[in-house]
Amino acid sequence: MKRVLKNILSQLHSFALWALMSVLLWGWIFGLATDTSYDKKVMIYCHVPELRDVELTMALEDDLPESIKMVQVHSFDYVMFDTVSIAQADILIIPAVDVSEMRDEIVPLEGDGGAEAYDPDTGEGILLDYITYGDEAYYLFLGAGSAHLEDGIAARIAKKLLDM
Amino acid sequence: MEQNVAELYTEEDVALLERKMKRLRTALVVLGAAAFAVCVALAALTNARNAGRMELAAVIISTVVGWVCIYGGIFGVDAKKKEIGHARMLRSEPRERIDGRVTVTDERLRIRGSITVRRVEVASETETRRVLVHENRAERLAELPATAVYVAHGYVAAAEEAK
Repeated sequence: MKRVLKNILSQLHSFALWALMSVLLWGWIFGLATDTSYDKKVMIYCHVPELRDVELTMALEDDLPESIKMVQVHSFDYVMFDTVSIAQADILIIPAVDVSEMRDEIVPLEGDGGAEAYDPDTGEGILLDYITYGDEAYYLFLGAGSAHLEDGIAARIAKKLLDM
Repeated sequence: MEQNVAELYTEEDVALLERKMKRLRTALVVLGAAAFAVCVALAALTNARNAGRMELAAVIISTVVGWVCIYGGIFGVDAKKKEIGHARMLRSEPRERIDGRVTVTDERLRIRGSITVRRVEVASETETRRVLVHENRAERLAELPATAVYVAHGYVAAAEEAK
């Protein structure tokens, strides 16, 4: 046993390197397995304190347009270092304070402003089973860089979110 | 007094080491391939609901099996390969006979990139010679009532025991 332990300690760097490679390799492979091109998926980004992304994804995937293979729901933390993904988002749920900052990356669903997602005064809002909002108003917008503005799929799913 | 030379590595010993090495290598390759296949299957079966768990399972399987393969590869297959090379060298190279009382010491040396050996002292009336023996044969040498050793390149290849 002592000899085995000594052998392990002598190769600790190899074991650590393998563990790191394993995490990176399978992270990349599972990333590929659970992803597809922008035109075949709908990406929803929520800048909220708490998001039950898996449950919301499953709820939305039950009834998708034919050309869409998957829905991806992410919090903003997920893309902290990846602003490209935010720019490609199809739907965003953001607090009022973000609206002016992100004005080039969002377009309203209808009219001038965003659709109200959460009202802090009444506590009423959309997707309350999946999202815990902060103490401010939240709005739903379409992404200006969305691949689904023209085909209307982004608007269709946004309306579904508002009705859920 | 009848003399008997005991080889530390016979042809059968070398053949046995080769068989063990090949079996271990095959087992590690099969284990690694099976683990990879399971991880690929997990990736193929993944969906939005189970993606996190499936990835964690693949990482754990891949890491643990990888560690087993690294350990078995370095301290099993590679160590046996080096021991076989060492045994072949002992059997083929010219030998020097050293007479004296043979003592296998506890001093263990790991030769970088090669085998691990134990220090052996052969004490005659006039001098004490220090040679080496592969650690896997140290016990066998220590158990022999040796009166002389045959050495190739400083390593004990055989011992002469008094009957």
